Amino acid sequence: MSDSARASIFARIRYSGSGASAAEIAAAREALGRAPAANLPGSDLCSSFLANVLLNRGTVDVVGNRSEAVTAVGKYIYQHYRTHRLVAGNDPRLAAMPWRDAGVLPRFGELEAGEPVALSYARLGVAETGAVVTFTGKANPAANNLLPENHIVVIDVADLVPDMEMAWSRIAHAMTTEQRPRGINFIAGPSSTGDIEGKLVYGAHGPRHWHVILLGEVPQAALGEAQAIAAPAATTGELD
Amino acid sequence: MQQYSDTFLDNASAALADKDKAEVRDAMALFTPLVRNAAMDQFQHFEELRQHVKQVRQHSLDNLGHYLESYEQQAVRNGNQVHFATTGDELNSIVLDICQQHSARRIAKGKSMITEETGLNAFLERANLDVMETDLGEYIIQEAGETPSHIVGPALHKSAAEIRQLFLDRHDLGERELETTEDLVSEARQVLREHFLNAQVGIIGANALIAENGYSMLVTNEGNGDLCANLPPVLIICTSVDRILPRAEDATAMLRLLVRSATGQAQTCYTSFYSGPRREQDIDGPMETHIVLLDNRRSDILASDYREMLQCIRCGACLNHCPIFASVGGHAYGWVYPGPMGSVLTPLLTSLEQSQALPNACTSCGRCAEVCPADIPLPDLLRDLRHAEVEEKIAAPRWRQGLKIHAWLARQPRLYQLLTGMGIALLYLLGRKRGSFSKLPLASGWTSQRDFPSPQGRTFMQQYKAEHKHRE
Ligand code: SF4
Repeated sequence: MSDSARASIFARIRYSGSGASAAEIAAAREALGRAPAANLPGSDLCSSFLANVLLNRGTVDVVGNRSEAVTAVGKYIYQHYRTHRLVAGNDPRLAAMPWRDAGVLPRFGELEAGEPVALSYARLGVAETGAVVTFTGKANPAANNLLPENHIVVIDVADLVPDMEMAWSRIAHAMTTEQRPRGINFIAGPSSTGDIEGKLVYGAHGPRHWHVILLGEVPQAALGEAQAIAAPAATTGELD
Repeated sequence: MQQYSDTFLDNASAALADKDKAEVRDAMALFTPLVRNAAMDQFQHFEELRQHVKQVRQHSLDNLGHYLESYEQQAVRNGNQVHFATTGDELNSIVLDICQQHSARRIAKGKSMITEETGLNAFLERANLDVMETDLGEYIIQEAGETPSHIVGPALHKSAAEIRQLFLDRHDLGERELETTEDLVSEARQVLREHFLNAQVGIIGANALIAENGYSMLVTNEGNGDLCANLPPVLIICTSVDRILPRAEDATAMLRLLVRSATGQAQTCYTSFYSGPRREQDIDGPMETHIVLLDNRRSDILASDYREMLQCIRCGACLNHCPIFASVGGHAYGWVYPGPMGSVLTPLLTSLEQSQALPNACTSCGRCAEVCPADIPLPDLLRDLRHAEVEEKIAAPRWRQGLKIHAWLARQPRLYQLLTGMGIALLYLLGRKRGSFSKLPLASGWTSQRDFPSPQGRTFMQQYKAEHKHRE
């Protein structure tokens, strides 16, 4: 059935097509150029990214090095869950963190029922939208993004890009040396829904809280600037 | 989905009579344009981006054969099985076959308008499969035995109180509470989590298919679609052939418009791109993935004068800005797609005979075209459909006769001016005292709802000529 359906659908579509060659089509697409992106809200990548994470109802932390990152993670999970445990993917960058220094006890692998906190190391952060990007795979099983109550994400300053076009060019670059990942996830906030009377509620299916830790040389004023941008914009609520 | 657009006028009257529902709709009609407009004001480049995305969509449709083929090649290379379905029934059979091959019983479904169009749930349930919608809105209407009233927020016609009652009736609650909206969301979360973890097949839709790399884009706030895409061992993606875009960046450029137009956000919480089944070294993800591509007359639309309709990105902005939609609600339209986009799509995807009233459900106010991120001239397409109704003798004979007379008369300017001048003078004399008419022959549709103000004595042309003479 599918074979003849395929043939007839292609025939009908081609009938109303332009008949241009592949090279002509590629040139025509090239001529359309690229789309305008949203303006960055802050004075640099870091402040813009942090501001948008806050606007997406995430919380943020800024740390200078890996040891500070571990301390920040330890503090955060102790404050919220009175625990030192969390689940992290088999990401070599996470494995190399000095966990013992802060007394954090990570379990490396896929989140299981009843485990409240997962930690991911993002591949990219997009300043335009305040999204972090993860690839599915051993380093970050999908359940770790989708099933915990609380999702913590570490991101390197060097992996921030201004907009989605730049994100794709970095992803395309990564694919020249690694296999295409099964899934590429742009995450911009805790799971939410507005399906009941348009009222925004967090924790629809996935995380109720989303905490982003920006690691590296972050300009001193970035966090303050981000907080100032995000503060007045306590939005009224969204749909779906 | 079973269609009942032929009774649009009755559906609309019934909807208008239900005051509680009308209140819910009014609240939504006030709120939804506000969030969209705020987001666009903040974005600042709406027009520039809309022209870019429109050009990319048109370019994709002009070369759909080329892009569809390259998408298919890439998707197969990524490990997917790609299926084509000419009709909704074909899509349903393909999906059922896959489920049966895996002896699946439990299906977790993400929101997909395509499968609403084909009536997939009912089809699978007839084969004894346990299908559960996992988008909160879709879940609510599935539990209530209803159909979506809106393409973005399918359960927005229901009040929180109704949903509370629904859960009280349907769920075994035990100690759990349902006081607040948060409680209702938690309740659904708990019920659905269990289903995700035990489903054998996940079914989702796609917001775009990317020709250059074979990925499909999934846009949600809840993350339910992602759970469907990642947890069950088999994944089926159901979408239509017109969703193809050339490049990955085209999908995210469209996203900038889609999300702002739909919910007023800059980006949804989850925007995911899936390429296929789990890789050799992966520890999670489906073992098998299928893409089912539906045509269902879209290739006919491509070849027709309504081609622009295929640029639609399903944001729902035209619904939120439509005075008719706000008044009568989505169910009155009698099929999957309501509002302005539905009034164009429904006749094209089903038949003009069955949906004759829909193109007429338009005040020509133009708000839909103003906000449409795909820049589709919706009021023009609706007018063309009305024209087709007259041409194809679908419109009522009395109506066609009236139009014919009017068309003839309008082409005889002297006679036209003479007759309208007499008519206006007569109405002026009759209505002078009261200032309005509560009843008029041939215009009962107007006067049954409101009074017709009596004319001031002279037609526009008479006044214009007098003014002209005066100036000379
Ligand atoms: S017709 Fe335009 S406004 Fe309406 S849903 Fe489609 S893209 Fe959105």
